[in-house]
Parts: sequence; C-alpha cells; structure tokens
Amino acid sequence: MSVEEMKVMGVIGPKNILNGVLRRIILQGSVHMIDAFSRVYSTDFFLPPTERNIEVLEEEPNLKPYSERRDFSEEERIVNLFHTLFDIEPYLSEDYVNEDYDYDRFMKQFFGIYQELQQTEQEIEGKLGEIARKKEYIDNLKYLSSFNLEINRFIDMEYLVFRVIRITRENYDKLKKNYKNIPAIILKVAAEGKNVILVSIAPETLEETLERIYSSLNYTILPLPQEMEGTVDVVSEKLRSSIEEDQKIIESLKISIEKYKEQYINELKKMHSRLEMEKKIEEVKSKIALGDKSFFMFGFVPASRVNKLKGELEKYFDDRLIILIDEIKKPYSGTTTPPTKLNNIKLFQPFESLVKMYGIPSYQEKDPTVFFALTYLLIFGAMFGDVGQGAVLLLAGIILEYFYKKVDFGGILNRLGLSSIIFGFLYGSVFGSEDILPALVIRPMSNINNMLITAVVLGVMLILFSYMIGIINAVKEKNIKEGLLGENGLAGFLFYLLLLYTVFRVFVLHQPLVPLITITLILLLVIILLKEPFGSRLFHSGGDIDKSFKKLSANDYIEEGFGLIEMLLSMLSNTISFLRVGAFALNHVGLYIAFLTLAKMMKSAWGNWTILVVGNIVILTLEALIVFIQALRLEYYELFTKYYRGDGIEYVPLKINFSKIINPKTGV
Amino acid sequence: MDRVIVYSAINTKIRILERGFLSRQDYSNMLQMTSVSQVASYLKENTSYRDILASIQTDKVSRRDIEDTLTTNMIINMDKLIYYFRGDYKVLIRSLYLKYEIEDLKILARSIFNGKKAEEIESSLSFLGKYSKIEPERLFQAETIRDLIYSLKGSQFFEFLIPLVDGRRENLFRFEMALDTGYFNIIQSRKLNILSLDEYLIKKWEGLLADLYNIQWIYRGKKFYQLSPEELLNYTINFGDRLHYKERQRLCYSKSPADLHQMTSGLVYGFLFKKEEISTDIYMERRINRFLFYKLKILNKKFPLTIIQTITYIWRLEMEIRDIISIVESIRYNIPAEEIKKYLVRAA
Repeated sequence: MSVEEMKVMGVIGPKNILNGVLRRIILQGSVHMIDAFSRVYSTDFFLPPTERNIEVLEEEPNLKPYSERRDFSEEERIVNLFHTLFDIEPYLSEDYVNEDYDYDRFMKQFFGIYQELQQTEQEIEGKLGEIARKKEYIDNLKYLSSFNLEINRFIDMEYLVFRVIRITRENYDKLKKNYKNIPAIILKVAAEGKNVILVSIAPETLEETLERIYSSLNYTILPLPQEMEGTVDVVSEKLRSSIEEDQKIIESLKISIEKYKEQYINELKKMHSRLEMEKKIEEVKSKIALGDKSFFMFGFVPASRVNKLKGELEKYFDDRLIILIDEIKKPYSGTTTPPTKLNNIKLFQPFESLVKMYGIPSYQEKDPTVFFALTYLLIFGAMFGDVGQGAVLLLAGIILEYFYKKVDFGGILNRLGLSSIIFGFLYGSVFGSEDILPALVIRPMSNINNMLITAVVLGVMLILFSYMIGIINAVKEKNIKEGLLGENGLAGFLFYLLLLYTVFRVFVLHQPLVPLITITLILLLVIILLKEPFGSRLFHSGGDIDKSFKKLSANDYIEEGFGLIEMLLSMLSNTISFLRVGAFALNHVGLYIAFLTLAKMMKSAWGNWTILVVGNIVILTLEALIVFIQALRLEYYELFTKYYRGDGIEYVPLKINFSKIINPKTGV
Repeated sequence: MDRVIVYSAINTKIRILERGFLSRQDYSNMLQMTSVSQVASYLKENTSYRDILASIQTDKVSRRDIEDTLTTNMIINMDKLIYYFRGDYKVLIRSLYLKYEIEDLKILARSIFNGKKAEEIESSLSFLGKYSKIEPERLFQAETIRDLIYSLKGSQFFEFLIPLVDGRRENLFRFEMALDTGYFNIIQSRKLNILSLDEYLIKKWEGLLADLYNIQWIYRGKKFYQLSPEELLNYTINFGDRLHYKERQRLCYSKSPADLHQMTSGLVYGFLFKKEEISTDIYMERRINRFLFYKLKILNKKFPLTIIQTITYIWRLEMEIRDIISIVESIRYNIPAEEIKKYLVRAA
C-alpha cells in the first residue's frame, strides 16, 4: 500500500519537438528516467506494428545515443552579467518556463544587448580604475605635505631623480647602516606598521646603481601624479575634483544601464529559469535514444500520475507522439528495476527519512515506515516519558518544521515530543518531578522489576511481529525457501516461539521440559542448518537438484553451522536488548533525583532553582539524544534485520525545484 | 613542561625512523650500478624504501619518479613527527616545511621562466603548498613569474613578492632573492613559546646556517653576478652566529674572491674554500652540507633531549635523498663512481 505502484511509460516522437516534450515532462515532475536502450532491447518491449508505428519501427535497429554536449558557459556568463548589472536575484519560476517559447530564439535577443552593456561596463570599470589611481596619488601626496613647494618642480627635475618609496623597517635599518655608501639623499617621511616611507633624490647618472640597490631592498615606488602643477594641497584638490567628475560619469553610465533594465526587465527575469530548464534538458538527453527522425525515451511513472502526464503531452503535441504505457514485468532486474516511491500519510511521513537512512525498500518489499514509526514512537516515549520535556521537544519540533523548514527532522521531533507527553502522563512526570501529576499507570522508580519485565515483553512482541512481516515479505517476493526455512522465516519464528515457551515454563513456572517440544526445537535447528539442500529439493524443478547439491561443500555447512550459533546468540541478545527501554525510563527519573539532591543542598531558593533548570537542560539534551539513538538502534538492529532489506532504488523524478517564496526585492 | 616528557616519545620514534637510513654498504653498492632502474630496484629490494617503492615499476622508472616517491616519504615521516609535538613546537617543525616549499617554488619559477610546462619539470615539487597552504594546482597554472606571484596571494610569501610586480623587477633573480629574504624573515619574526634550551639551540643552529649561506652568497655574488657591495650587503641574511653586521660588511666590500678567502680564514669558516678549487665552486655547497652533517652529529650527541634530534633526523633524511638523486643523475650521465663520490654528502 505504501509503496506506490509504477508503470513504464515510453514516449516516441519526431526529433524536432524533443526539447519541448522534455520541457513538459520536467514540468510535470513525475518521470523517473531509465536508459532508453536497456528498455528498447529488453525482451518485453513491444511496439504494436500499426500503420502509425511502422515508420518508427523501421528506425528501431539503428538507434544511437545522444552524444553532443551543448556548452552553456557563454549563456551562463551572459545571465550572470545581467544578474549583477541589474541586481536581479536568480529565481526559478514555473511561469517563465511554462509559456510556449523557442529557447534559442529567446536567448539570441540578448546577445546584442550583452555586447552594448559589456562596453558600458568596461567604461565604468575603467573610470573606477582611474579613481583608484587618483586616490592613490592623493594618499602618496600626503607624505609630502610637510614640504610647502610646488611638487611638479620636484618631479620634473632634469638632472636629479625624485621619488617616494616604501621599504620594510628591517631593510631601512640596513640602508641606514650603510648610508655612507648610498649615492642618494634619503629622507624618512613616515613609518607605517612594518614599513617606512622614504623620499629619495639622486643624480640621474647614478640612477641605475641606485635602482639596483633599492631593488635589493625590495622597494615599492609610490606613484605621483605627472604634469600637475601646484603645491601638495592644490594638486590634491585638483585630483579630488577630477574624481568627482569621474563619479558623475559613472553615475550617468549607470543610469543608461538602468534604462536597459526598465526596458527588458521582464524578459531578463525569465533568462535564469529558461537556462536552468535547458541545462536540465541536456542532462536528461544522455538517457535518450535517437533514430534518424525520432527519439525514444522511457521512464517509470507512478500509476496515479500516468493519466495526467499522458493528457498533458497529448494536449500539447496532439498525435505527433506515440505514448506507450506498460505494466512492469517481473522479475525485476538491472535498469528495469522499478524505483520505490514511499507514500505514507502525513503523520508518518517524516519517519521516511529515518527508514531511508537504513535503506530504500525495494519495489516489491513492504514499506516498513508505518510499523517503524509506531514502534519508534512507542519505544521513545517509554524511555523518555515526561510531560514538560516532551512539550519542549514538541515546541522545538514545530519551530523547526514551520519556521526553519526542516520538515523531516522537525516533524520527527514534534511527534516524539507528543509521544513523550503521553507517556509523561502515564508515568506522572513533569520536568522530572513526580510530585505534580498523579501517575495514570505506573511510577517507574517504584516498580523497577515491573518496568524491566514489561520492556522485555514489549521487545518479544515486537520481535515476533517483525518475524511475521519478514515472512509475509518473503512470500510476496516468492522467496519460499527463506520464508519457510530461513532463520528469519517460519522455522526461525517457530523456534523462537517455542524457545520462549520453554524458558518461561522452566524458569518461571518451574515445570520440567516437555520432550516433544525439545525434539521439535532440535528438528527446527536441523531444518535451518540444511535449508539449502531441503529448499532446492522442495521448491525447484527436477533438473537443478543435483547441481545445487554439488555446489554445497563442507565449507558451506561450517558456515551455516556458525550462522546457527550466531542466530541463537542474537535471539538472546535481541530479546535482552529491550531491557534498555525500561532502563532508560528509570534512568530519566534517576538523573532527576541526582539533580534534585544537589538542588536541596543549595542554601538559597535561587540556587535551588538554578540547579533544577540546569539539570533539566542537561537531561533534556543529553538524555533525549541518547534515547533517540538507542531507540533507533533497537529499530535498526533488533527489528529491521528480521524483515527489512532496504536494497531498493529511490524514485527520483526528473524535475526542477521552483522557488516558492516571493522575493520582495525584485517583486517576483 | 619537562624535557623528558616532551622528548621521550619523539626520540623513540626518531630512533625507529633512523633505522631506515641507508648504510655505507648501500652507498657503495649503488655506486656500482649502471642504470637508473638498477638503482631503483636496489632500493626497492634491499632498503627501507621497500614499501614506498612497492608500486613502482623499476624498469620504466625515471629520476622524477624516484624523487617523487622519496620526497613523499619524507613528507610522511615529517608529518609523523609533527604528530608528536604540541603548541609552538608544531609551528617550529612546520617551518621546516617552509624551507623545502621555498626550494620547490624556486624550481617552479625557474621552469616557468624557461618556458617549461609543469609536467616537464624534472623535480618533484611535492612540498608545494605544505607550508603556504596554497593549492599546488593553482601554482602550476601560472604562466609567468607575475602569475606565480599572484597565485601565492593569501600565503605568507605574498608580502615579500608583491613589490616585484611593479616595474621591471619580476625576474627570476629577484624572485629567488625575495623568497630567501622572506624565509629568514619569517623564521626570525616568529615568537615561539618553547623550552629555553631548545630556543638557544634553534638560534645557534639557524645562526650557523645564516653564516654559511651568507658567505656562500657573498662569494657567488662577487664571482658570478658582479653585484655591487651595497647590493650584496642588502641581500645578506640579517643575523648570524659569528658573522655580525660589521664582519658581513667587511666581507661584502672585499676586493676579490681571493681577498674574501683571506678574510674568512680568519673566521672559523675558512674550510669553505680550498685553494686549488677556488675556480670551481661547485664543491662549496657540498662542503657546507658535509659540515652541517657532521655538526649535527656532534650536536646530536651533546644534546640528547632537545629539538636538535628532530632537526638532525629531517636534515639527514633530506641529504640522503639528495645523495640518492645525485647518484641517479650521475649514473644517467655515465660519471665514474670515484667522481660521483665528490658530489655526495655522505661519501661511501
């Protein structure tokens, strides 16, 4: 019930409408693509040789894979430029791709605009560069502000070279120590962090020597404005006003860009979505087979959505497409294994993520989510029953789910919180305290033995239930051998049941062993040990009996023998494992008592409350986490191993996740 | 922190690693080989390099393959040692990576300068990025020295290199000089919180290195680059064990290599020059290395529970690799065994 039924859908049509068809399919978002070749060449593929199909059938033997790979980097660059220039948030909207359009024609109209814009953008960048340079000049001129002279007279000197340089303090030390050998007049004008700023004047004839010496000091020349007359203040002022002019030019360029924006904004907004759609289409094409004129594509579609998809395709493409809908043939294998789409009611949906963590159920396997969710809630609640802390978890879960959109984790958390609240009432526990509420059923700490025994009984019931699901699954898969004779099949189930009865009879009722039961137990063990030969004799037709007998060597029996010992051990450990359900219920109270004792040792009421609050926080975070994990391990290790394989393929439909939130900035 | 606590574990580890060094017998065996693949298979079959060379096919092996594997091994062993250190000691050992990374950067710069592609480079360059944390891929993409400088953005080297970019100075020589200055600058400016004896030894050791490199530099600068004394002096390392500023200045202003030799013989470093070989200084580097090799041996004996143990191990490892590569190179060019020995740090 909870794994959705799938059908194989095939779409065959002329190549020129391939992109359009794929776009519709992606918009529908219900097709799990499969490799077209593996479908066409599978034995059960059949195209009725009607008049309409005959042309396509001729192409079938000459199909080729789609080999081109279209390069979208140019378009991506354009789209990115537009986005940054016009301040558009990349936003995926279904509306933009739902219209009927031709992608290439749509994109072409932007190429021209792109070039014009690129030019404007370059102009702006050039101007920005100039501004940066002028700002640097201004900064550098500041070092000279103590000289009240016209700087152009320094810079334009004919026989002397004037420059401002920067070197590190260490190198300045070296320079200073050896100053008598340096052919220049050097003046330190500033010190900044690791560096010092120097002014140097040297005769032009010695310029080369000096340049080499400065190089050995790893210097940086600080550039000064050329061809500007006046003192430092005057030149700086000139530079500042020229920067302002540049900025005005930039502004006007930006306005011209704005105009483009107004004109094209509506089209521009569509670009991102359409580009993404096109990329997705290219991505899918690797799974498509192409003939001379036609394309072949196949995918799994959930039965409930087949008609909608078919209707949609027919609406847009009339009779140009051949749409095939087939049931899935057993046995499933390779690429034709149908994917699994879990379909549970909202209450259990978040738990799908925990099941998937272990594995996806295969298509014909029973979805364990419901059983998992119920037992998980039960175990968690029993271990962590507390009205107050449960409410905190519930609240945290709701906040996570609805405000932070962590649907899975938040959903699990609030359901667990609810379960915890229910058990809290049963135990009469609020934030650890047992004085506020009466216990509806039991107080764990005063009934330790009852708690532990109940836990084991609960465990036994869950294990038995798991056996039953396992057997049903095996029968559904027509795996009669495992179902009847396997250690997790009927034989194992009966063995466990009888073993439990025997233990109960001997240790609780103190009655002697029943010989018949003992013999049956041994017999069941032998059956499980010899399930391979028995299985093949019972369930296979004549021919392969000898073969399968021959295949089993002594090694296999040794292996089966150890398997048997392992089975016995795990039956014991699986059962005892459930003690922890009771133990954690006790632990919860125990931790609280510890903090309560501490709180009572406090002199002030204030200290008392602080300890209790801190204690509760510790219990809530630490214990809730441990219980969360322990309950999960009980599920995975004790129960799933009995009935769940989880080796399916997840249903991943071809689709684009369109943004749902409206962006206030761009008004989309 | 007690020295015994710091060094007992690390020394044990070093003793174990030291067992992997080649013996004298290994050296003389390798010198008898006639091809690169013979050396490779000797290393693979008879020495501690067995495991790391296991995947190498010795009949097709190149010098680069051998060097690659050996330096990778060196990095692995250095990482093993770093694991034993805490706090500033980790910083100290990492700065040993600094040295090797700079060597690799220089080789890379040289091949970029000569227009070689990254895959044509003969050396392994395995240390690139070990200290600077720059992705080696980024460095390999550089096509000019300028690219290389910009690709080092974000590392500690950048500030020393960026002044080269403006103007005419992005040449190879300046690049190498800037890196070397940067190296000594970085190791001088780090403030390490380590045991005082270790601090003393590190200072002594690095001073010794600085002295030797300074003399070598002044000698080469005079002989090959014809640099002015001022430039020479500016490029010298700004600290030393015995060579202080005044001596360095004096050496820089010496008139000729012979004059320089005269001056150094008054210091303890006269051994660097041999009169009859003064025209062929290729042996100077070997003399420095041999001196360091034996100096480390002495220090190692004298200071058992100190950082010198680790430094010695890493240096010896480096020299061993250097020797193996020298042997491989020489065999490739058919140099007779007796002649090869003259290039080896640990002659057999």
